[in-house]
Formats: sequence, C-alpha cells, structure tokens
Amino acid sequence: MAAPSAAGMGRRLRAWLPRIMPVRWSRYNPSYLEPEVKKESYQKPLEEQTEEEREQMELKAVRPIKAAPPTLSSSVFSDPMISKFTNMMMKSGNKVLARSLMSQTLEAIKRKQLEKYHKAPENEKETIECNPYVIFHQALKNCQPIIGLSNITKGGKTYQVPVPLTDNRKRFLAMKWLITECRENKHRRTLMPEKLSQELLLAFNNEGPVIKRKHVLHKMAEANRAYAHFRWW
Amino acid sequence: QLDRGCALHTAARDGLSSVSSQDVPAQRPRAVFHTSESDPAKHTEQHEGRLYNIPLEEVKAVFPHGLPHRFQQQIRTFNEARVMVRKPALELLACLKGSNLAHPAVRYVIYGERGTGKTMTLCHVVHYCSRQGWLVLHIPDAHLWVKNCKELLQSSYKKDRLDQPLQASVWLKNFKSSNERFLQEIKTQKKYMWGKQECTEEGRPLGEVVEQGLARVRSASDAVGVVLREIKQQSHRGSFRLLVAVDGVNALWGRTTLRKEDKSPVSPEELTLVHNLRKMVKNDWSGGAIVTTLSQTGSLFKPSSAYTPQELLGKEGFDALDPFVPIPVPNYSPREFESCYGYYLERKWLQHEKAHTEDGKAELQFLSGSNPRQLDRLAGPL
Repeated sequence: MAAPSAAGMGRRLRAWLPRIMPVRWSRYNPSYLEPEVKKESYQKPLEEQTEEEREQMELKAVRPIKAAPPTLSSSVFSDPMISKFTNMMMKSGNKVLARSLMSQTLEAIKRKQLEKYHKAPENEKETIECNPYVIFHQALKNCQPIIGLSNITKGGKTYQVPVPLTDNRKRFLAMKWLITECRENKHRRTLMPEKLSQELLLAFNNEGPVIKRKHVLHKMAEANRAYAHFRWW
Repeated sequence: QLDRGCALHTAARDGLSSVSSQDVPAQRPRAVFHTSESDPAKHTEQHEGRLYNIPLEEVKAVFPHGLPHRFQQQIRTFNEARVMVRKPALELLACLKGSNLAHPAVRYVIYGERGTGKTMTLCHVVHYCSRQGWLVLHIPDAHLWVKNCKELLQSSYKKDRLDQPLQASVWLKNFKSSNERFLQEIKTQKKYMWGKQECTEEGRPLGEVVEQGLARVRSASDAVGVVLREIKQQSHRGSFRLLVAVDGVNALWGRTTLRKEDKSPVSPEELTLVHNLRKMVKNDWSGGAIVTTLSQTGSLFKPSSAYTPQELLGKEGFDALDPFVPIPVPNYSPREFESCYGYYLERKWLQHEKAHTEDGKAELQFLSGSNPRQLDRLAGPL
C-alpha cells in the first residue's frame, strides 16, 4: 500500500514517502479518504448539504477510498462502546466467541430485569430499568475513576503520585476492572455471561467489587495528596 | 385473560375481532396479533399468524417435556406461553379432525430447514390432542436416546439388546405426569415378569407397570416396551385415541455414537427403546395418528444442509416410514413476521431504541431472513 504513488494527486503528494515505515499500522497514501457508512449522509438531497459537504461528495468521486475495517458497521444497532468492550474480552482473536458472550450477557441482563419488572407492583415499575444498553453505559460510567495514580521516581524512591486521567484512560480502566473482576474473582464453573451480567447490575446500582476498587483508588490518591507537586505535566 | 384481538391490517378481510384492547396504546402503529381462542380445535385460517395463549397450569400438565429450551426460557421471562398459529399446524389439525380412526394410523412427517418451527408445530398438535382427550405418547427428542448415554446395560429380556435405564426412567416420569387418568383406565392383558420375583398380573392398571419401571430402574426400558405394546394393542378398541408424537424421528434409523464395552459401535436396532419405538411408528395399528418431526440439529453424522426426508431418514428410514404425509414448514411469511415483531415489542423484549424504528425492523427482517430461530436469537441482546 505504501510506495510513492504517482497518481498525480497534487504536487505535494507526488514524491511521497512516509517518514516512519509502519509494520503493523495502515500504510495508506494520504490521498485515500475514510469510508462513510452512515446511510443518512447519502440520502440527504443536494439542497440540504452545506458547501463543505458538497465538496466532500465531489472529492469522493475522484479519490480512492480506504478499505472499511471489519469493526465498522452500518447497522443501526452497533455501539462503539460495546465493540470496544467485546474487543477487550476477546482472547487470541476469537471475535466470534467474544461477540456471542457479549450478546448472551446483554440478554441475561434483560431477562433478569424483565422478571423483576413483571413481578413488581405498579408504582415501582417505572423505576426498574430494562434496557441492557442503558444499564451497560451507566454501569461503565459509575466505574470510571476520576483521578489516577502514576509511579514517579525521584531521588531513588518511587512515589505514587495522583494524576488526572484522560477520558480514554478512564473508560479503559473501567472496562479492564470489570473484565478482570469477572475472570479472576468468581467461581470457576460459572459462565462469563452470568458473571458479567451480575457485575454490571451491581455496578449500575453503585455496589459491588468494581465500585469498591474505584473508591480504594480515590482514597489512595487522596492519601498521597502531598506528592501531587511531583507531577510536571 | 383480557380479550386482546386487534388486527389493524386484516380488519377488512376478517371483519370480526374488532374487540378493542385497553393495553395497546393508540400511538403504536404496528398491529398486535393476539387471539383469545386458546382451544386449538377452534383455530382456523382466520387465526393464522396470530398468537394464542396457553394457561401456565396447562403447560405444566401437557408439556412436562417437549417444549424447546428457548421457548421455556421465554415462558419464564414473559410469564405467559404464547404460540403462533401457522399454516402447517392448521393443515395437520384439519387432517386429524377429518381422519377416520377405524383405518390404520396415518403418519405425518413435519420437515423444514433449521429453526423454522417444526417442534412448535408438533407442540401445537399435541396441545390439540390433549385438549380433545387423546392419549399422547410424546417423545421429546429421539436423538437423546442414541447419544450421550452414560449407562448401557445388557437387556435381561433379549441377550443382544442394550437397555438405557436413565433415559427410560426420565421418559416414564414425564409420561406419568401428563397421562395420569389413562394409566388407571388401561389394563394389562398379559402377565409380565420383572426379573425372578416381581411380576405384574393380568388385568392390573398400566400405572403399576410405570411404577415398577420407576422403582426398579434396571427394568425401566422393559417397562417402556410393555407400556408401548399394551397401548398399541388396545388402541383399536376405541376407548381412547392415541397420538404418537416423536420429535427427531430420523434418530431411529441413523447411527449412534454409543459403543459397547468392547468398543464396537452400537446400531440403533440393538437399543430396546429404539426397537420398541420403531414398532410404534409402524402403521399396523388403528385408532389414532402418528405425527413425527425430522430434525437435523441433534442428528448424528448428517450434514447441516440436509433437511428433506430423503436426506435425513436415509434409505432404511424412508422405506420404514414410507406412506406418509409430508408437511413442510417454511420461514415466517411477512404477516407472521409482523406478528412476532409486534409481540416482542408489546412484551418489552426489544429494548433498544432503534429496534422500534422502521429501519430497525427492516434490519431485523434482513438479518434473520424471516427465520424464527434467527429472529429470536437476534432479538435477544437487543
């Protein structure tokens, strides 16, 4: 894919060679455009499109397009957070198994909540949340830490210094804690969907071992407040 | 049960069923196909594509075994058992209603691709027959008798046959719970010896044979054989009508994965249960009907694309079942799909916001290919 492409895409791009030669990353020529999967963008009539959108459409007619990665889906039901979580659950590239575990987890959450819903008296029915996606997102949000700890070596000793976290890092930590909690601290014979659905429901209600781990991290950061000035970024 | 039969699309055709349903809100554009007719005898083409309710006590009485696992989970989640009335089932019911019980039993074979609803059609017919008071001999899955058997005993009755005590006792327990009253009425016509000491006299109710099979698990397979023999011999008298419902009948003529102690493979004839069931499925008795289903899902050594009777039964099975009425079961028609989709929406099974939109519905129809099992599996996580 690399190689200087002499397709005549403009003077800047004629003798193009990447500064670093990537081995595992994508090596597309910068002239390649990203694929667009949303149906709505193709169904918009010409009048509604702004200047940039019209230019973009015309560009698409002449420029080549990158191949769409397998994770990119045009389905209305696809959710980037769920895909990320599925990828983190995956072992040795077995995406089929990871995806089926994820769908079984969502179904298990839905069944538990629906059973509770049908047994509950009328006035409590609105409080019970049955949508597994809402529960998943809320549980992840509840598990995200606000502040993290980082190891900084100063004068030969390593200190745990409280440090702000980016959004990506928070999401990653929340998902990682949920998965490790399910893999390690449960009975050997329980299946993953069962364990995960239980953990997600506990996290949704702000209970459970993952929330506890988040609180422990916050307490450690609070205790190490004195070293906060060691951070230089 | 509230009378819930509102059909927006078919109002012109049906005319009736304009009963208003209080729990369907006015703003929902999709029709909810329910029918309050819970007696399968009264189901006609008018009810096609609609879901009828079976009261939960009846489910426990009529189907101690036999319902698919996912359907049982659905009953537990929704707190009700709703079965769709479909054309193959209506055809079968019409044939059964018009059948002459003096003639030899007619064999019906329900076949179709994977996940199209063959077992549910069988369960619909079983429900109809038990409502009409027939004696129902329901074998939930014949494949369970030819694979994964932990204990194989040599039969005491015939030297070269093998007994399966576990499977036989499980089946006897379920048979007893669904057909209590027949077991008191039917009397044995011969004296049966169980081992050296115990025997059942002539003229004792069949319930005693079943008790004997449950108490002495070693002779459970022989008890099953005796029950089948007695019922078959007495069915022509007319005091009861017999329905033999076998799911996965292609297991009786295939191969097994069982091995004897010297590691030689077991063929199905060598199993007592299979041998007796084959005699039951032969049409040399009168006073009832035999309804069977082919199934590739649990079958052994058959390719996954096989679904026709010729492919699944093989030459031997096809010849044994030969004059039979084939009943194909297709995927959902657009109307049935609408009905199923509306039911999932109404029961709050489809929770995703996009699932309520037209786009979501079109996507579900495309991805599942209107196959009932695929639709159920897709709608699970949504």
